[in-house]
Parts: sequence; C-alpha cells; structure tokens
Amino acid sequence: MVAAKKTKKTHESINNRLALVMKSGKYTLGYKTVLKSLRSSKGKLIIIANNCPPLRKSEIEYYAMLAKVGVHHYNGNNVDLGTACGKYYRVCCLSIIDPGDSDIIKSVPGDH
Amino acid sequence: MVKFLKPNKAVIVLQGRYAGRKAVIVRSFDDGTRDRAYGHCLVAGIKKYPSKVIRKDSAKKTAKKSRVKCFVKLVNYRHLMPTRYTLDVDLKDIVTADCLQSKDKRVTASKETKKRFEERFKTGKNRWFFTKLRF
Repeated sequence: MVAAKKTKKTHESINNRLALVMKSGKYTLGYKTVLKSLRSSKGKLIIIANNCPPLRKSEIEYYAMLAKVGVHHYNGNNVDLGTACGKYYRVCCLSIIDPGDSDIIKSVPGDH
Repeated sequence: MVKFLKPNKAVIVLQGRYAGRKAVIVRSFDDGTRDRAYGHCLVAGIKKYPSKVIRKDSAKKTAKKSRVKCFVKLVNYRHLMPTRYTLDVDLKDIVTADCLQSKDKRVTASKETKKRFEERFKTGKNRWFFTKLRF
C-alpha cells in the first residue's frame, strides 16, 4: 500500500529531476556511451529502463558495481525513459555525467 | 566513479582469436596513443589453460598438466569484460609496450609470463584465473 503511493510521487519527482539534468547538466544516452562513461569513471548515476534485456542490464550493473556508481531502475520502459528525457526516440539506458542544478544523484540512489 | 581498468585487473577478452580467454591488464593507455586513438591496454593472457591435476598423477604428469601457454596483446577496452578479480603477478618489467615490435621480443615476453603464470598456478592461488571459462 505504502509502496504504491510512494511510487507515483517519487516517479514524478524522478522525471522532474531528469528534466532538470537534461536542461542544465551533462548526460549520455545509450548503451555504448554508458559503458564508455563507466570505464572512464565519468558517470555518476546510471538509469536503466525496465524493458532492458536482462543480459545487458546485468552487464551495466556489473560495470557500475566495479566503478562504485549507483544504478537506478527506472519505472517505465525505454519509450517512457526517452519521453522523460525530452527526446523523440527510445532510450534504454542513460548515464548522468554532471547533474547541473539537479539533486538527482543525492536523492535517487537510495531506492535502488 | 572509481577507475577499475587498472594494472593487475583480471579481464576476459571478448573478441578476436583469444575470445573467451582470461587475461590480466599489465599496462593501460586510457587516452590512447598516436597509433591507437582509443582507450586500450596491454594484456597478458592464457592461450592454453593448464589441465586438471589429480592426486594420482605422477610428478612427470603433473608437470606436463600444469603447463600454461600465454599471449601478450594490445586490446581495445571495448573488447574486454572486466571482472572483480585481480591477479598480482609482477609483469611490468617483462611485458612492455615495445615488446610487441618484433617476433622474437614477443616470444621472450610470452615465455617469461609463462614461467610466472606457471609458478603462480602451482601455488594454488588465483584458482579462478587458471580455470577455463565455460560458454
């Protein structure tokens, strides 16, 4: 009960925070660049859509575990994540390099 | 935010002739060099894994079964899968960037790493590294 109520409010707030990152921060979209940002230790938070193929999801999580970077499983599929980023294409995973004015890095990884 | 492609990290080579083999990073070039403008590293890996040694084996047989064949290669970061394991064998002096210039330098480097890998295998440490990855 509490979880259902919580997800709607926090879901919107994640979208708001993502929108702020898109406007003011640095990010990369897509699997190849996410791995690149993890290897170069530039990524600070990784967001994965819920319909990401499980092998790819495990791979990104493993890299993030090695790099000690938080991973957030977005409550929505790649179409929703693309819309949340303000793009007209699907985004399966994205990496936030510089959050700009947003506090997404401090507030979000708590729930993973 | 921690760099993990550092020397002594055990990795798995994903592409090429040595795909599926385990290797250890000896030296990493994060920003590339003039010849290779991408992040890559020098790895020393196992070409042929040592076989399973059982208690029944004679000394001659154990010696034969514990042989390791090695390779030295420059690999793009994209063609590696990093693992959480490390292997601290000191290979910095034998495996250098210029040991890949000529065939005989490459052979001597492989022979030296073979020696070091074999003595590490015989101590029984880093057992994960010397077992073949099944796929």
